[in-house]
Amino acid sequence: MNSSSSEGDKRPHTSLPEIGISQILGLVELLLGKGGREDIYKLAGELSMELGETLTVVKAAELLGLVHTPGGDVEVEPFGAKVIDASIPERKDLIREKLEQLPVFKNVREFLKREEDAEVTREEVLEKLAELIPNDDAETTFSTVVNWGRYAELFGYNDDSQTFYLDL
Amino acid sequence: MSMDEVMIEMKNVTKRFLLPQGEVTVLEDISFQAREGEFITMCGPSGAGKSTLLRLVNGLLQPSSGEIFYQNKIQKGMNKETSMVFQNFGLLPWLTVAQNVELGLEPRIREIQARHDKVHHYISKVGLEGYEEAYPRELSGGMKQRVGLARALAVEPSLLLMDEPFSSLDVLTSINLRNELLDIWSDRDNMVNTMIMVTHNIEEAIELSDRIIVLSNRPGRVAGDIKIDLPRPRRKRDKEFMEYVDRVFSLLA
Repeated sequence: MNSSSSEGDKRPHTSLPEIGISQILGLVELLLGKGGREDIYKLAGELSMELGETLTVVKAAELLGLVHTPGGDVEVEPFGAKVIDASIPERKDLIREKLEQLPVFKNVREFLKREEDAEVTREEVLEKLAELIPNDDAETTFSTVVNWGRYAELFGYNDDSQTFYLDL
Repeated sequence: MSMDEVMIEMKNVTKRFLLPQGEVTVLEDISFQAREGEFITMCGPSGAGKSTLLRLVNGLLQPSSGEIFYQNKIQKGMNKETSMVFQNFGLLPWLTVAQNVELGLEPRIREIQARHDKVHHYISKVGLEGYEEAYPRELSGGMKQRVGLARALAVEPSLLLMDEPFSSLDVLTSINLRNELLDIWSDRDNMVNTMIMVTHNIEEAIELSDRIIVLSNRPGRVAGDIKIDLPRPRRKRDKEFMEYVDRVFSLLA
């Protein structure tokens, strides 16, 4: 099987923070309740979270285009407000649109499309991720990819057979 | 049923348990009414008997004295028109999300397709589409509680009970799930008619519910019954919100 890195997005891929969708949405909701902007350090204190952990959630939200980080602050983007305003199903659609643009997800989806007739296994995706984001632990990235990918219904994953599929 | 009909009424309910150290009175002389369409919170410190109170409401436990009425009739045994969401999710680890949600439906809906349609409908409602075949081990706390909620909603209870539903979740996830709960509660499609939630978190109680029944500790007694007259969404920083916090707090002191 061709694990081809000559195809697909060749930009350096950013790490995927290991943060769930609920926490990301919760962050945006919290910020909106405070007028849309807060100092990150202060936020960490208020949430009784480690600064590092807070930064990870902020980074994840930023990756999804929900917030940006001017100075030492985190501020909700109009897209972020739109996502929170949306209904539960509409949210998924909005997030899917953003996710489809992220290089890692684009790559994984293209990979799945190419292998349409064959089964794509967990191992194959892990290998792909290790290739795309060599500095990170592939297992961690894998679980975030599966988590966000499932939420946005970009693809499905079955842990019994350990296979991915596109059929949504 | 007309609006404002009394769904659950407790009259002078006392609950005692026989423990090795002797008889313990967990709840004493509890009286209250829950009306149709209300979202009520039982708020009190740990050990105040809140979980016991919920299990008296759904008929899992029987009162030692006093009476419990459901829709004006004496309640006998488990109330099949209620379902519960648990603090620690209560999912079966060997079943997928879809199978967990389907669990309560098997005795109620015989036809498989109808059951699957219902499961799919509620999985959608809570935002779990895409996770149907996932196992609990693959899910975050927030996702697990969505499964718990979907499962409880799928049996279309008239009365939804929630036992500290957000207490096992991290702060950010709780914020997200509380808001989603309010979305689901205000959804016109909603089959649930009345909700009773138990929590020790005063701010959460004020943020979410129409009325708070404050329970004091050991034995649990009704220390107050406060109507929350604020439009939703409610902001913790607002003066009126903080006044309610003070009121509840002073009842617990």
